[in-house]
Amino acid sequence: MNLTAVLSILVFSPLLGIAVLALMPKSAEKAIKVVGFLATLPALLLALAAYLHYQFGKDLADFSVSVPWIQFRGMAGVDEPFFSVNYELALGGFQLLLVVLTAVVATLSALAAAKFVKKEWKGYFMLFLLLEIGMLGVFTAENLILFFIFFEITLIPTFFLIGKWGYFEKEKAAYSFLIYNGLGSAVLLIVIMILFAKTGTTNIDTLVQIMADPSAPLSGDLKLGLFIALLIAFGVKLPIFPLHSWMLKVHVQAPPSVVMIHSGILLKIGAYGLIRFGMGIFPEQFKTLATLIAVLGVINLLYGAFLAFIQTDFKMVLAYSSISHMGIVLIGLAAMNEAGVQGAIFQVISHGLISALLFFLVGILYERTDTSLIENLGGMAKGMPIAAGFLLAAGMASLGLPGMSGFVSEFMAFLGLFKEMPWIAAVGTIGIIMTAAYLLRAVLGITYGKSHREFTGVLDLKGVEFVPVVVLMLLIVLIGVYPSVLSAPLKATLETIMLGIGG
Amino acid sequence: MMENAWLIPLFPLLSFLILLLFGKRLKEASSYVGILLTLASLVYSILVLFERFSEPTFITKFDWLTIGDMHLTAGFEVNQLNALMLFIVSLVSFLVHTYSKGYMQGDERFPVFYAYLGLFTFAMLGLVISPNLLQTYIFWELVGVGSFLLIGFYFYKDEAKAAAKKAFIMTRIGDVGLFIGMILLFWETKSFEYSEIFAAVDAGAVSGTMITLTAILIFIGAVGKSGQFPLHTWLPDAMEGPTPVSALIHAATMVAAGVYLVAALFPLFAASKTALLTIAVIGAFTAIFAASIGLVQTDIKRVLAYSTVSQLGYMMLALGSAGYVAGVFHLMTHAFFKALLFLAAGSVIHAVHTQNIEEMGGLWKKLKLTGPLFLIGTLAISGVPGLSGFFSKDEILVAAWEGGHPILFLLALAAAFMTAFYMFRLFFMVFTGEARGNQQHVHESPANMTYPMILLGVLAIVAGYVNTPWFGTFLGDWLVDGNKALEHHGHAEGSPLIMIAATVVSLAGIYLAYLMYSKRSLKRNWLSGTGDTLHTILTNKYYVDEFYQMTVVAFTKGFSYFLRFIDVFLVGGLVKGVTGIVQGLGAAGSRLQSGQVQTYGAVAFIGLAVLVVIFALTGGYLR
Repeated sequence: MNLTAVLSILVFSPLLGIAVLALMPKSAEKAIKVVGFLATLPALLLALAAYLHYQFGKDLADFSVSVPWIQFRGMAGVDEPFFSVNYELALGGFQLLLVVLTAVVATLSALAAAKFVKKEWKGYFMLFLLLEIGMLGVFTAENLILFFIFFEITLIPTFFLIGKWGYFEKEKAAYSFLIYNGLGSAVLLIVIMILFAKTGTTNIDTLVQIMADPSAPLSGDLKLGLFIALLIAFGVKLPIFPLHSWMLKVHVQAPPSVVMIHSGILLKIGAYGLIRFGMGIFPEQFKTLATLIAVLGVINLLYGAFLAFIQTDFKMVLAYSSISHMGIVLIGLAAMNEAGVQGAIFQVISHGLISALLFFLVGILYERTDTSLIENLGGMAKGMPIAAGFLLAAGMASLGLPGMSGFVSEFMAFLGLFKEMPWIAAVGTIGIIMTAAYLLRAVLGITYGKSHREFTGVLDLKGVEFVPVVVLMLLIVLIGVYPSVLSAPLKATLETIMLGIGG
Repeated sequence: MMENAWLIPLFPLLSFLILLLFGKRLKEASSYVGILLTLASLVYSILVLFERFSEPTFITKFDWLTIGDMHLTAGFEVNQLNALMLFIVSLVSFLVHTYSKGYMQGDERFPVFYAYLGLFTFAMLGLVISPNLLQTYIFWELVGVGSFLLIGFYFYKDEAKAAAKKAFIMTRIGDVGLFIGMILLFWETKSFEYSEIFAAVDAGAVSGTMITLTAILIFIGAVGKSGQFPLHTWLPDAMEGPTPVSALIHAATMVAAGVYLVAALFPLFAASKTALLTIAVIGAFTAIFAASIGLVQTDIKRVLAYSTVSQLGYMMLALGSAGYVAGVFHLMTHAFFKALLFLAAGSVIHAVHTQNIEEMGGLWKKLKLTGPLFLIGTLAISGVPGLSGFFSKDEILVAAWEGGHPILFLLALAAAFMTAFYMFRLFFMVFTGEARGNQQHVHESPANMTYPMILLGVLAIVAGYVNTPWFGTFLGDWLVDGNKALEHHGHAEGSPLIMIAATVVSLAGIYLAYLMYSKRSLKRNWLSGTGDTLHTILTNKYYVDEFYQMTVVAFTKGFSYFLRFIDVFLVGGLVKGVTGIVQGLGAAGSRLQSGQVQTYGAVAFIGLAVLVVIFALTGGYLR
């Protein structure tokens, strides 16, 4: 069976929805919402089919596609290399998981948007679907140029989605987002261009092989410089302290359905880039800076946790919590062993699900009470027992309760780092305590205690609102109880990475 | 039977799931779901226990998580300790389920209560059949959540909210110790499996320093869970939970998990003298420390809570003195008599609607069943000869003496004296003398509350006879049977003098309490007078909470605000810099767009010149 077209269809399937939406009148609110939601389904179904394809023991390489795309000669003379950029998509185990995660969160976010977006649905959903193409493309692109194009595609719709449909300071947040990410991608572009110019290819696998060759046409210093540039470019995205302040604004100001995507998927591009390109193309340099990365990870973890501890706005708590949790990714990667890297990847997926769930619940809460300030809330368990229960469970997932996905990733990341740098890891474990402290402070502040007026006559979860909450919770528990759903597809990815590191 | 012992924890899990989904519709019928499913666990546990008497340990496992070439497993094990714990946990849980039907009647969130009980029971049963450290840790955290949810059951009360949060965070501090210890041990032994860890320790594959370090780290986890000093402060506050919960979680099962953990890993601890001594010292200190606070408390549940902390310290002392059997034996008898005391206390509270013992008194005549049952529990915990507590406490004292720590032995004796004193103080103040509060509608509790108490009362009397110096040490022999690492830590034959000493201090304590609180021939104000420094210190629990507030909590907050300062000014400054540069460039760029063709031409020419120069210098692309 020839499956080479599947990935392209998967990535570009939201285009169909964009086309249909373009033809619809602006006022057809209900129909727009339905189309917007339906348009996410093909990608979801194909992503799940690809997962099953893998689970039934078939090869993911079946999906790889590579066709010539852009070609040009070197300008300095005939003997210069013949530059060519191919249109290349492929799925590895890691990418497969991210594509599934993206498709799931996108579909649920579309459902959430139908609830939370109050105006100009047509524009919203068209941009949203464009964003989905960008995200799916980022995780399937097999060469750097294509990756970069998709990467840029994610920026522009996000900018508009924040700037137009966000809360009070939406414009400020949107510009802040654009400046930081724009600078990040400029740095990324420089790295890609230098790599291209030096090696004549942008295919990721080829690059990995070329760079592993000691006779590669790049000096050690240049490699280190490129790696540091990559670390900054993706560090903005992840984000790594002190490049984080833009994402705080986004988390607070963007509409909940966009934050679900942003925190759930877009931040993960940073982690994906660090793993795929940072660790894949520059394993030696990664090793050189491993201690620094571990320290940065612990700083992220603790900095985010301590600041989350004193926030008054629940959204800010979650924003700092994201910074803190991304510290776990860095910690795991810095270990550079199987346990650490697998932990980092697990954390990417796990945090995607957990933060999507938490931000959806915040959206519900804000919609019903017009506030997300902890001091104004309280006693939610009385008025909205089901939502409060899910909020508590999501909080537990976030603080790494065993039986849920967060624990598995946290455990593996620390397991890995304790082997290599026990002292740094030991400092990091303070984060485990602080995470419990700030999450319980915030979640109990909202759900327990005296019932404030905000919750009198407030509706609990109902109808379609259950779908995102239940789906995400089930996935979180599934990974926590049966982590093989993730670790099995990751086996090959992990082996490749370990081979590159030479560990 | 044993090969299907994994079913035992699943029954309560099923109860949890059913009640979570359908509790609202089942209303108070929820209790039957919970009771029947825990009964299933109990029956199965008894069958497994009996089978384990005659058959060897059963263990099975499967791959749970693969990391590269490492296979982390999950599974279950039925050894002597596990089988005994399964029985204790499922029994107490079943009785508490039954009791709660009466106690929680009319509560709006009745089904939720039963759901949480199911979750907790599942986790606790899962904990005691885990064959490896990782799985233990997983269930260890889950019992913590069960406890957290039940402490905070009356979520609208600010005290309950604070207590639940405190319990979770304090125990998590301990858990991090366990977490680190477990991981370090893994890299030393390449395994989480108990059997492989013990084998590696036995073979000398782990250095002495690492054994001591990991053992003490793991013990920190036990300190948190079992309310040992200095992480004990959450346990008395946990009394904010409904009383049946206090009986189940904060007396009989979860708080004993720390003791269980040390017992389950005993071969590791036994390999380090330092680790054992640490445990013994912490245990003995906690025993006397908590007992002294218990002397002056006026809340019936808090007296029992401090008594629990103290008794857990006793068990730790036993294990730290290499008295494996003594520790486990006392864990079992304590589970029975302390659960009995809590349930009886619940029955009292149910009757008089107050927890303050100053407002009770004279209840002996009104609570005809609860009174005698409470007395049985009090006699048992005080170590009066013939009851279960007497035998297990004696075993501990012997272990402490044989362990070669005369000071710890004396501390244990002093704690035994205090225990007898404050327990009878409690008994006399609640049941004898004149009624001091409003007791118009006092009535005995319904049958579903009294029957569980009666059963526990019987056990509180007879459970000690499974291991006595008089009629044979069946339990002790069985517990260490076939286990090389435990052979030398079985029952120890002690001098009869120890038994006599224990009896004397216990009776002395009771007599003193009698003189002060029943006969009132001794003035009680030397201990309960106001203005007395010692009394003030004791009622304020040595100001440990205040100390933590002023140090750890204040530091955390201060540090957070310091970081916020950095976030706002330093990182914020960076942001301003970045946006400033971008804006500046933008402004400069827009000034270039002047419409002057000459400017454009000049810029284009200069740019071309620069490119040519670069090209000439480098000879092509970046090299």
